[in-house]
Amino acid sequence: MTYFELSDISFRFAEGKGDVLHNFSMRLNKGEVVGVLGQSGGGKSTLLRIIAGLEVPNSGNISINGRTLVDRKQFVLPEKRGIGMIFQDYALFPHLTVAQNILFGLHRLSRKERLQRLEEMLELIQLQDFRKRFPHELSGGQQQRVAFARSLAPEPELLLMDEPFSSLDADLKHSIREELKRMLRTANMTCILVTHDKEDAAVICDRVVHIANIGHALNINPKFVSNSTR
Amino acid sequence: MYASAALRNLKRKLNGWMIISVIGAFAALIPSLYILFGLFGAPNENWAHIKQYVLLDSALQSLWLVLGTGSFSVIIGVSLAWLTAAYDFPLRRFFHFVFVLPLAIPPYIAAYTYGAMLSYTGSVQAFMRNVLGVTPNQAYFDIMSMKGAIFVFTLFLFPYVYLITKTFMERQSAAFIENARLLGKGPLHVFFRIVLPISKAAIIGGVSLVAFEVLNDFGVTKHFGISSFTTAIFKTWFGMYDVDSAIRLAGLLMSFVIGLFILERLVRRRRAYHSSTSKLKPLTRRKLCGIPAWAAVAFSSIIFALSFAIPVLQLIVWATWTYRDVFNDKFAGMIGNTLLVAFVSISLLMLLAVIVANVSRASKRSIFTLALTKLISMGYSIPGAVLSIGVLAVFISIDERLGGLYERLGWGANKLLLSMSLAMLVCAYVIRFLSVGYNAVEAGFDKIGNRYSEASRMLGAGMTRTFFKVDLPMIKGAVLTGFILTFMEIVKELPLTLLLRPFNFETLATKAYQYASDEQIHQASVPALFIIAVGAVSVFFYHWLGERKST
Repeated sequence: MTYFELSDISFRFAEGKGDVLHNFSMRLNKGEVVGVLGQSGGGKSTLLRIIAGLEVPNSGNISINGRTLVDRKQFVLPEKRGIGMIFQDYALFPHLTVAQNILFGLHRLSRKERLQRLEEMLELIQLQDFRKRFPHELSGGQQQRVAFARSLAPEPELLLMDEPFSSLDADLKHSIREELKRMLRTANMTCILVTHDKEDAAVICDRVVHIANIGHALNINPKFVSNSTR
Repeated sequence: MYASAALRNLKRKLNGWMIISVIGAFAALIPSLYILFGLFGAPNENWAHIKQYVLLDSALQSLWLVLGTGSFSVIIGVSLAWLTAAYDFPLRRFFHFVFVLPLAIPPYIAAYTYGAMLSYTGSVQAFMRNVLGVTPNQAYFDIMSMKGAIFVFTLFLFPYVYLITKTFMERQSAAFIENARLLGKGPLHVFFRIVLPISKAAIIGGVSLVAFEVLNDFGVTKHFGISSFTTAIFKTWFGMYDVDSAIRLAGLLMSFVIGLFILERLVRRRRAYHSSTSKLKPLTRRKLCGIPAWAAVAFSSIIFALSFAIPVLQLIVWATWTYRDVFNDKFAGMIGNTLLVAFVSISLLMLLAVIVANVSRASKRSIFTLALTKLISMGYSIPGAVLSIGVLAVFISIDERLGGLYERLGWGANKLLLSMSLAMLVCAYVIRFLSVGYNAVEAGFDKIGNRYSEASRMLGAGMTRTFFKVDLPMIKGAVLTGFILTFMEIVKELPLTLLLRPFNFETLATKAYQYASDEQIHQASVPALFIIAVGAVSVFFYHWLGERKST
């Protein structure tokens, strides 16, 4: 059964410029992890930002679990969507500790539930001893795990990940990739992951969607070409 | 776009933050609109007289002031900027800081000081007569003239050009200059063919601030007896008691300023050269030795002496003569007044600045936010005389409208409640200095970007919670900077304070002005030094923040 549906989404940054996304559609079942592959500049990150509610599509509908997020008449604000997102550079709040970062999204729970959820999350990412550290005192891999825990803590209906491994070096990437796969399965998360790396997608995802370049993106300056052939 | 989608997008943006921003921006616009609409009314019988005898002459005088000050500020500001940005010479770090200090001295205070120093009984001529035994020709010391005014304005306003140009040169120009040097071009060629053209936008930005300050001035031209456009407005208002014609003059000045403002934006937009790469290497300084090094030190020392050291020393000497008469309970009350009105205004202003900046950063591309921020940044370019007439007129008409309410409350129908209160002055300060605070906050938001607030929104926090939990802790420094810069501006502000203060309400600036216009120049030194001290501390703090960021 379709859990998340996105249909005929078009998006352009300004009137007169070409579409970044043109009538794009996709569907997800509950618990599915889907990778979105495409070249850089192909609108992958924009797609995530539209699903998150950070950008407004020019046309198209989005719904999750039978609830409409965007159509012609409605627009649900990002904070009301119940969607989690892991940013490319994690965007951990630099002025808050690990524990405070994870607790940030739990303001609707009671104090007791909040602390319980924090412990669960710290256990999941194996960083119990780092709760009082600030983000800049953590390694890249640890930061990524905190970002994951922070997004997962409020139990989102859908988790979005934007190039989750791009700031990690190759060695770390392998171990973290496996770990992330385990954690996603444990939480039975529905997840959309954007990447330019086919290998990442193959390891983690159940299914891969290719986002095609619409053709407006590449604009080669002829002067440049003649220079480089000289 | 469908109507339903437009409605949806409006609903998405409509929240308390947006509503306050829009109301704030329009409230700030009302006095200016009032003035501009004054241009369309039918002129009264005085207007023909004013048009014939006052208009052209005062417009020309103001134009000469702006052109003269602008040219000399560019010469001094750009040459000093190039000197400190591209060369290393003894005491460079010291000069680099002290060239900003003249901003701490309001031009009207400098005008009183130089005027008194160079008068027949002043320290310069007295020294020549009594010690050197020479009685010089009076004509050499005629500072109370157009030339003198340009001299004073240039010395105390050139830092705007210097600061903006130097920052640009240090950060943006290295690659071009090094390439030119590698291509075998000499320093003069590099300066005129590379540095000047690429710095054009920065120089224009600085010089337009200088022009706005000159047009805003009231103290210097009044003291030196120059019939500038601003003094013409005051004469019409207080000499002829013809408010309609004063508003008409103000409207003309404002149209000119708006034209200047738009011109500056257009020129800057088309000439904004920025390096295409994001990795910028700072400019490496060349070391000067021998005669060039000494010449650099001598030139810098002369500018520093004239634009800060000499007037401040003179003021300190005068202060030691007079501080006993000046320090009394009233003086303490005056400091209290200054602080009170400054803090109330700054609190309101920074609140509005933060709200508008928070609204506008989320949708930088939209025409609406662009208009909002342009409206706000225009406040600073409206001359004080124009703004004060506008604010006064608006407050009086509010009082008239509220007459019925006052009567019902038993205060009498014709009471001028709001236009006799501090509210008017506070309102004018907020309109004029909103852009100073806004620019500081915007710089803070630009630095952190949108990703943290987006992360917070994704974790279920709304705009308000995001602001207090995430944004505010991260832009604290920027808010503090805005606070300090506006504090300095308000403490030294003269025309608005003079015109819009309640009866008998004295601040440091109005007291310094009053002493000086009562021929008590020596007494004026004490409040003047307080103003300069506030300015110097603010400049120092700002400089320190900037240095800390760049290292």
